[in-house]
Amino acid sequence: MEADTSAVNVPLYRKVRAVVVVWMTLMILGAFSFGGLWLNIPRINILEHTARNLYFHVPMWFTMMAATVVSVNHSLRYLKSGHLIRDTRAREAALLAVVFGLLGLATGSTWAHYTWYEGSDLWWNFDPKQSMAAVQVLIYGAYFVLRSALDDPEKRARIAAVYNLFAFVTVPFLLYVLPRQLESLHPGAEGNPAFSEITHPIMRLVFYPAVVGFIGLFWVLYTQRVRTALLQERLDALDMPDL
Amino acid sequence: MMLPQQVVPDTTQTTAFDSIWANPDVPVETLNWLDQLMLSQDKLFVVLAVVLIIWFGLVFFVFRTDRKLHRLERTLEERIGPKE
Repeated sequence: MEADTSAVNVPLYRKVRAVVVVWMTLMILGAFSFGGLWLNIPRINILEHTARNLYFHVPMWFTMMAATVVSVNHSLRYLKSGHLIRDTRAREAALLAVVFGLLGLATGSTWAHYTWYEGSDLWWNFDPKQSMAAVQVLIYGAYFVLRSALDDPEKRARIAAVYNLFAFVTVPFLLYVLPRQLESLHPGAEGNPAFSEITHPIMRLVFYPAVVGFIGLFWVLYTQRVRTALLQERLDALDMPDL
Repeated sequence: MMLPQQVVPDTTQTTAFDSIWANPDVPVETLNWLDQLMLSQDKLFVVLAVVLIIWFGLVFFVFRTDRKLHRLERTLEERIGPKE
């Protein structure tokens, strides 16, 4: 294992962490500002204040996609270099992808219950985008099932990296292409733009920073995981000094 | 078809004799406390619920990472002894 590929840039990590904390605080304040102060959002029937979930639910999916990009990037680099650190990074990024995917499903289900399914007991009604997103999370969940089935680190890393390539290829189709072809309650269905005319331009002022903030938060959590995993690997290496 | 001797029920005032009471389609207050809370304040509490889901989800994740670190610390202590 080469030193330059295994080290985490801790000073950079600390800087990003500080920026993320301040950034997210401002984002949450922006998300909840109303009452004629600033960033007032338009009132839409049924949606009402839940329109603000745009700042929280949608970035979950953007963050999941970012995590899958990071993950597949390291899987590719593992296949090229054979450094196990790449496998570790791919694994931790995929784990964060699952975490943000699950949060996206949970928040989406809650939002839908009080808007789409208001007046019914439904939390889940197989909206195409919901179903595709659930399948996507399961595909990444299977990545970990596959990993747990293999004992040899090199073999596990190689097979998991190849699986990760296939998993990543499904992301744009399941989260982007297919839901747009099908009839869905989600904005962006049937070829419409996801940001339609009912999405007030002022909401972009919070939405885009929210996406950046959550991706930053992902990066902080991911780096923590990588640091912990590297520590684990160094400890494991102590057990086998001749390897 | 309304017969001339029939009277249109007065639904502007809700008295016990109004036909509106017999109509099963009229929404009645059957919401449980959670739905009542969530639909109040123009559904602002739905946003709170979503934020709390994300918050507790991430806290749960951070705690798992923390537990992993704790295990590593214990392993390290077993191998090289406690830090002086």
